[in-house]
Amino acid sequence: MNLEKVIFSFFMILALTLNFGFFYGDVHNPDHHNVYELYAVIVINLIATIMKFGDRSQLGAMLLATSLVANVQLISAAIVWAVAEHVGTVGVTEATMATIVSLSGGAVLANIISVVLLTLEASMLRH
Amino acid sequence: MMNPATSLILRQMRAPLIVIVTVFSIATLGMVLIPGIDENGQPWHMDFFHALYFVSFTATTIGFGEIPYVLTDAQRIWVLITIFFSVIGWFYALSKIVSLVQTPIFKKAVIHANFRRNLGQINQGFYLICGYGETGQDLVEGLANKENRCVVIDNNPDAIETLEVQDYITYVPGLEADAKNPSQLEYAGLSHPLCKGVIAVTNSDACNLKIAITSKLLQPHIPVIVRSEHHDYEENMKSFDTDHTINPYDTFALGFAMAMKSPSLYLLNEWLTGVPDSTLSDPVVLKEGHWVLCGYGRLGKRIFEILRQLKLSVTIIDTLPTQRVDFHRCYPDDKSKFILGTGTDADTLIDAGIEKAVGLVAGSDNDSNNLSTIMTSQMLNKNLSIIARQNEMINKDLFIASKADVIMHPSEIVARRIRTLLDNPLLLEFLQECYQQSNEWINITISSLSGSINELTPHCWTNTLNEEEAPAVYAALSKGRKISLKQVLKNPILRYRQICCLPLMIKRNNDIILIPGDSEPLQKNDEILFCGISQAEIHVSQCMHDIHALNYVMSFKGTPDSFLGRYITGNTRQKRRTDDK
Repeated sequence: MNLEKVIFSFFMILALTLNFGFFYGDVHNPDHHNVYELYAVIVINLIATIMKFGDRSQLGAMLLATSLVANVQLISAAIVWAVAEHVGTVGVTEATMATIVSLSGGAVLANIISVVLLTLEASMLRH
Repeated sequence: MMNPATSLILRQMRAPLIVIVTVFSIATLGMVLIPGIDENGQPWHMDFFHALYFVSFTATTIGFGEIPYVLTDAQRIWVLITIFFSVIGWFYALSKIVSLVQTPIFKKAVIHANFRRNLGQINQGFYLICGYGETGQDLVEGLANKENRCVVIDNNPDAIETLEVQDYITYVPGLEADAKNPSQLEYAGLSHPLCKGVIAVTNSDACNLKIAITSKLLQPHIPVIVRSEHHDYEENMKSFDTDHTINPYDTFALGFAMAMKSPSLYLLNEWLTGVPDSTLSDPVVLKEGHWVLCGYGRLGKRIFEILRQLKLSVTIIDTLPTQRVDFHRCYPDDKSKFILGTGTDADTLIDAGIEKAVGLVAGSDNDSNNLSTIMTSQMLNKNLSIIARQNEMINKDLFIASKADVIMHPSEIVARRIRTLLDNPLLLEFLQECYQQSNEWINITISSLSGSINELTPHCWTNTLNEEEAPAVYAALSKGRKISLKQVLKNPILRYRQICCLPLMIKRNNDIILIPGDSEPLQKNDEILFCGISQAEIHVSQCMHDIHALNYVMSFKGTPDSFLGRYITGNTRQKRRTDDK
């Protein structure tokens, strides 16, 4: 067992599960989507992205790309939330919430691809 | 794939970046969770947006203060912890980046990446020059300033640094690598589709040989020019079709023989192959009589051979007894005197008969000794012709000041020869033809040459009358117009003035016309060798390229090229045609 692999996989899978947790629930309903969870997803995703830096293989490039996509989606969601709450006058409406949640939904997809790639790589290793 | 330098920096940045993200996220979370009090004394929670803002300006030591409300003590404790950890994390990451940029491996990665990018941007044929010593520098300067692209490879980091600070007209990428290593040679551009020649001018014959073998095996179609100073290496190189091997000593000995037998031919050679726009060299008169030869090395041996063939008396001075043994073995029945010594002191020189000698060759491989020999000899005999061997570029001014009649600098000879070979192969053919001409013919050529140039060494260039190099003349000839040589030699600004240049030779299929007459009609695909002042090259090429310039010098009424011009003349011509009917 390789501790580095464990930590690497841990962050990638945690990014996916947290992301899914935030995404799951009624799209419009702000009560179903916790701001702390979004925060955790962003932090874990950032760490997962940094851990993929500098891998020169084709698979490494794919993994980095999926993580970057997830980050773009999640940070956009956070920006939408911050702008809606602090800049606009109406606050977070149902429509805004739907935008935030669907953006995070895109990130879920990217994270799923990332985990699938990781699993594929692991299954190709011969023991 | 990713650039190795970027990949390296990203990999090294993982740890500091993770530290920053972790510290920032914990600090932000803490700021959100710890309750504060707003201006009305009501409990209040920072949201993520404000917390991140607060942590960002605190961690980066900007510090806007306690906003939006004054913090509670509980919050202040957390901020205290935050400051210590986040500021440390921030500086750790910054210092890591700075130290990364300074590591030799990163610098090397950046230099290699830059080199590859510069190589990729080259979009015309280039020469791969191996070795950036004296010869390499001289060669690159000549080639790059004539807008030829070059790429330099040298295993000496100082040489590459020298290259970096040079200011050539075209940019010359340089790589610090070992040219003996085939993969590095390929990396430096040997396998590049635009590589049009490999020039091996390192200071070691073994290294040059390896470069020649590598390029002939990997890219047989690319011409290879090699400097070689030893005959056995030269034979080896020629055995596998190396295109040109250049031996500075042989080249010089050939020139020396020429100067002895036909001073005017030597002068013509010097003028035509000299560095353009330098002062024109004076005729050298080498008399027949007694010669003193200091230094019986590679140069001395070749010069002795020439003097021996001319049946002149020679005294040799050399420090090495082994050379004397070698000399007596080579020429067992030769009566020439061989003195052991440096030849720098008056006694040895007087012993060698310097007072009644007509010529001196200072040909050792030590510049100080050579200069000393020259100065001592000049004091003993004022009428000596002096041939000096200059070994290092830095001593150039000293040798010029020593008033030696002929200065032989191996690096310069090789560089000059290679430049002529690459730039103007037709000139070499012309000189080859000249060897077979009479002295009288050469004297006439020299006098007509001095009529068309000023006091500086002339430029020599070749124009080929094809579609690329002379589109105007080519188009005119294709239409059946008759153009004579005289007509393209008129100044395209004032046509009653002649361009200051002399056509030396026309090569037509395989025929050669030496010093063609003014009325020589031009034909398609003629290769014409010109010689003249630098301005002349521009004027001639203008007549060759620009149809309007050509029409002007030929007093031919041209057709306008612009739409409006064509419209007007087209109409008038049509009218005239109908009138004629």
